[in-house]
Amino acid sequence: MKWGIKMEVNEFINQNLIKMNLKSEDKESVIKEMVEIMEENEIITDKEEVIKKAMEREAKGTTGVGKGVAIPHVKSDAVKRPAVAFGRSDKGIDYGSMDEKPSHLFFLITVPEKSHDEHLQLLAQLSRNLVHDDFRESLLEAESAEKVMEILENI
Amino acid sequence: MKKIVAVTSCPTGIAHTYMASESLEEAAKKMDVQMKVETQGSVGVENELTEQDIKEADAVIIAADTNVSHERFGGKVIVEVAVADAINDAGALINQALEKADRGEKTEVKSNLKGQVSDEKEKRRSKRSGPYKHLMTGVSFMLPFVVAGGLSIALSFVFGINAAEQEGSLAAALMQIGGSSAFALMVPILAGYIAFSIADRPGIAPGMIGGMLASSIGAGFLGGIIAGFLAGYITQWLKEHIKLPENLQGLMPVLVLPFLSSLIIGLLMIYLIGPPVEGIMSGLESWLQGMTDANAVLLGLILGAMMAFDMGGPVNKAAYTFGVGLLGSEIYGPMAAIMAAGMTPPLGLALASTLFKNRFTRQEIEAGKPAWFMGISFITEGAIPFAAADPIRVIPSIMTGSAVTGALSMLFGVGLKAPHGGIFVLPIPNVVTNLGFYALAIIAGTLVTAIMLRLLKPKLAE
Repeated sequence: MKWGIKMEVNEFINQNLIKMNLKSEDKESVIKEMVEIMEENEIITDKEEVIKKAMEREAKGTTGVGKGVAIPHVKSDAVKRPAVAFGRSDKGIDYGSMDEKPSHLFFLITVPEKSHDEHLQLLAQLSRNLVHDDFRESLLEAESAEKVMEILENI
Repeated sequence: MKKIVAVTSCPTGIAHTYMASESLEEAAKKMDVQMKVETQGSVGVENELTEQDIKEADAVIIAADTNVSHERFGGKVIVEVAVADAINDAGALINQALEKADRGEKTEVKSNLKGQVSDEKEKRRSKRSGPYKHLMTGVSFMLPFVVAGGLSIALSFVFGINAAEQEGSLAAALMQIGGSSAFALMVPILAGYIAFSIADRPGIAPGMIGGMLASSIGAGFLGGIIAGFLAGYITQWLKEHIKLPENLQGLMPVLVLPFLSSLIIGLLMIYLIGPPVEGIMSGLESWLQGMTDANAVLLGLILGAMMAFDMGGPVNKAAYTFGVGLLGSEIYGPMAAIMAAGMTPPLGLALASTLFKNRFTRQEIEAGKPAWFMGISFITEGAIPFAAADPIRVIPSIMTGSAVTGALSMLFGVGLKAPHGGIFVLPIPNVVTNLGFYALAIIAGTLVTAIMLRLLKPKLAE
């Protein structure tokens, strides 16, 4: 499972896309806060559209998958390239998760309407890792964005 | 060691599908259960389950928020949950599946013929491209007009075959609705929506105008098809090649495109294309009307075989479009042959799978029951699952049966005024002429199909 992903992880996440202390306190604002990270990094062309798409996806079923993790995601033409933004909230945010517990780790995944399979496979790989307890714990314990990058690079 | 196979799938197919897959694999590892998970995500199907995998599995887990087909898991223990359940507690899910397997609770997967057929139709629709797609778009928009027109005309005959000539009578009103309105719109709608399929909205006006001209100069549906394609491609070309200055661009869709494209297509239809097509069309009409029995039988044979050949594919649709188009010229014989021949493939297969059980798999026998219904509803696609399993024997059988039905229907001089509906339109008075003989033609084709299948299909080993 660890087939030389290291290099490629940098392609869709970097330290600028990591926010260690999310300020939001509810679901809608955290999505907005994360989308703004994407906007600042020029990953997306239309902030409102991306927020709308993300909320639409949530309406179909929460992406708060439990165990303190939420992975809102958007597939849209307003996305320039596949990217992941990572945010952490130590306090926890009520995200309407499946296990009804607050979420601490947030991955906002954005992909263009037409994406290369390799990118999607990388994202799939990231998703797979979120299932592992030690992976999540190390993300919760990481004290800096550099450390988070290091963990992600080693998946 | 126990073996479980699973399928995971979620609406976007980016995250949950894979998390669920990983959870299941992890949990299975801990529980010492062999696990193979097929993921149906945005990358497509990965780690696809083989028939072997499914055969060996003690249980099947489907963790999906999308519609995952059950077809291939017939006779297996199935646990079906939302994708989230597999992410949250895969272990419990595996236990549940194994317990269910121990109790031997096989989920009876109804062989879902209807589902398979609509999947197949959808697949075909999405594969359609180019001129064929455009033509089918036109035909599908035209059909409601044909239905409304054909049935209204049929109803007007209830009052006697010449009743509509009595001005002010209800029969005349029905004829006015069906004949001079609905049928009159057929060709313009056909042409308009062929052009729409090619050039989007700007295609509709020139297409309909071209179709109207085809109609009025007697070039019929053939002229309409040509007008539709010409209008579509010409409009598309104009759209791409006319460059107006920025501040005049607003005039393109409201003035320039509709006027220019309609002018070009109109002049072409009147001076260049209309006359020869009118010749062909009136030749065709008079040939069809004055056909000898031998020619009628031959035409019925060909149309019938075409209907069965690809069961709703392009060849079938070519024959069908021909029949529907002729309704506009008030020629009803080919339509009758075509509908009858489109009904016999599922009917013949249903009959054969009922009578000759040792030549069909259990699944096919199960699928035979809904095939009856598809047959009487004129859904030729109902034969596809059988044909897909054994094309070399099934397709010649159904083609023979359909050819016989088509030929008989033409020979008996049956006419049909509705373009669809199977037996459900037949009770409406005057929709079909010679109803008794029509039924005979359909029954004969059904029997021939079944007999052919009996002869060609070998006995299956138990």
